Amino acid sequence: MELTFNVRRGDGRTKDATYQAYHVDVEPETSVFEALVKVREEQDGTLAFRGNCAVGFCGDCTMLVNGRQEVTCLTTVSKALKDDAIKIDPIPYAPTVKDVMYDAKRFIWDKVNSFSPGVVFNGAGWGGAQAVTDDDLRPVRRAMRCTMCGICDQGCTVIDVNLDFKGPAALTKVYRYVFDPRDGRAKERVVEAGETNGVWDCVHCWEASDHCPFDIDPTHRIMDLRDRSVRLGVKSGTGNRQAARHYNAFERSVENHGWLDERNVAIQSYGGLIKGGLKMMPTGLAALRRGKANLLPHPKRPGASAIKALFARYREVTRTER
Amino acid sequence: MNRFAFYPGCVSKGSCPELYESVVQVMGLLDMEVEELTDVGCSGAGVLTSEVSDPINARTLAKAEQMGLALMTICSTCQGVIGAAALRLQDPEYRAFINKEYLAAEGLEYQGTTEVKHFLWVLVEDFGLDELKALVRRPLEGMGFSPFYGCYLRRPADVVGRRERRTYIEKITEVLGGTVVNISGKGKCCGFPSLTINEPNALAMTAKHTGEAKDNGADAMVTPCPLCHLELDGEQTQAAAAARRTIEMPILHLPQMVGLALGLDPKGLGLGRHFVSTAKIVAQLEPVEAAVTAT
Repeated sequence: MELTFNVRRGDGRTKDATYQAYHVDVEPETSVFEALVKVREEQDGTLAFRGNCAVGFCGDCTMLVNGRQEVTCLTTVSKALKDDAIKIDPIPYAPTVKDVMYDAKRFIWDKVNSFSPGVVFNGAGWGGAQAVTDDDLRPVRRAMRCTMCGICDQGCTVIDVNLDFKGPAALTKVYRYVFDPRDGRAKERVVEAGETNGVWDCVHCWEASDHCPFDIDPTHRIMDLRDRSVRLGVKSGTGNRQAARHYNAFERSVENHGWLDERNVAIQSYGGLIKGGLKMMPTGLAALRRGKANLLPHPKRPGASAIKALFARYREVTRTER
Repeated sequence: MNRFAFYPGCVSKGSCPELYESVVQVMGLLDMEVEELTDVGCSGAGVLTSEVSDPINARTLAKAEQMGLALMTICSTCQGVIGAAALRLQDPEYRAFINKEYLAAEGLEYQGTTEVKHFLWVLVEDFGLDELKALVRRPLEGMGFSPFYGCYLRRPADVVGRRERRTYIEKITEVLGGTVVNISGKGKCCGFPSLTINEPNALAMTAKHTGEAKDNGADAMVTPCPLCHLELDGEQTQAAAAARRTIEMPILHLPQMVGLALGLDPKGLGLGRHFVSTAKIVAQLEPVEAAVTAT
């Protein structure tokens, strides 16, 4: 079949990049990546894009195909075709080096490499210890399917406003180690992942899970990481205690009253009565004027004692300390 | 008559009282009965670990089940978190664990039958768009509304269920006579979950969504989530300042928009409680022949 690629050309700094048309004749089941390689080999050796394994393993060839981020070696031209053409752009949220070649280091590897790498063996399954079972490793294997294609990061609501957020791809990598029963550094890892721009900055919008082409469900992996962090007594990194203050205030509020004391959670999150009170003062006064807040003590829900009992039982069952 | 076990959540009983007031009035006009659950806990809002929020939500689901009613929520986050717990509790082994370890002490047992439905879904699926259209007394003609769902009414797919639920606000807006003004971020995060953890991120999200609604010519945004309302309304001034622009975009709760079209009094719907003035919206409303009283 004959088709036209309209490919973004220009260096990374060019704001008004131009599009160059390439006409190519390929089979319908040819991947977008292979077709672009054909263009580069037969028509234009200066065309720059990334790509490596060409079998969907490495994720390197991710590009915007007609505005949608795709692993291009897994996307056939017939599927991508729109009005007899395929528009190719570089992925957003990473500097473009040239044409559609993105800076993979800035996009993903700097973030992944900011976390401690490799399993630090804890002796599981050795020297007479209980063997690691297939069931134990199933969730880890699922996370290991991640190719770092970064499509989850494209959907990420936080990266959309803050490029420094580690993002679901890098945090899924952390999950892979923390949930590996052979690893002995879980606590240190969740502290690392809990620093600013880490796991507590995720807004759990579920976009990452919606975007992941490999069914890894990265948002769930982040929420699992948070749950494991809490189980390990870690509710933030060392540099962002506000996340821990927020968790603790939220937990105390529900545990003691059955429901949320919004006023106190905000004040405690921002540093306690004086610092948090001053910070919340303008909003609080405006809320008071509008009948959206009052100065009375936060009342208990009728079922508060039953909720408190659930918290006590949760600590017994999970052996989690406050 | 449709009846629901009503889960108002924390915020409608706290800093968004206008949501509670407006939804109760609208449900009355629609002749739909709600029985409020007053002794159940906060859903955990995706903040608390699911290891403690699942037992709390299982207790809520068990109480609705005892009443033989579906659970109606009025908050996207409550809907998503309780809905996800309900989905996990479909697993008989997990349900038996939660029942044995947590609910048995109170004499409760959850059988896994409670349906969890947001007011938005109830409006379309249980009441009906044609029926709603027939009740409109003050069409919102000439007014543009940008929908803003709140993440949990859009994702994850297995919790939200029917795909068409992703466009219910648009359908309701049109039935009420209003014009839909789309924005690219209508299914994105408002910023609220990050407000007390990473405020600049939260404000940037708020400025982006409200600013886009303004740029696209909306008269107001409408949301079925009080947390989105707290952020988009309550933090909008700070967000606009951080983005160095003027926005002033009124944010309506979904039942407020419905209530206005059904002829309810704007003041009674709590439009005066908002941080961003709704005066321009109220000024655009056509007069209704006789004041509507909610039953």
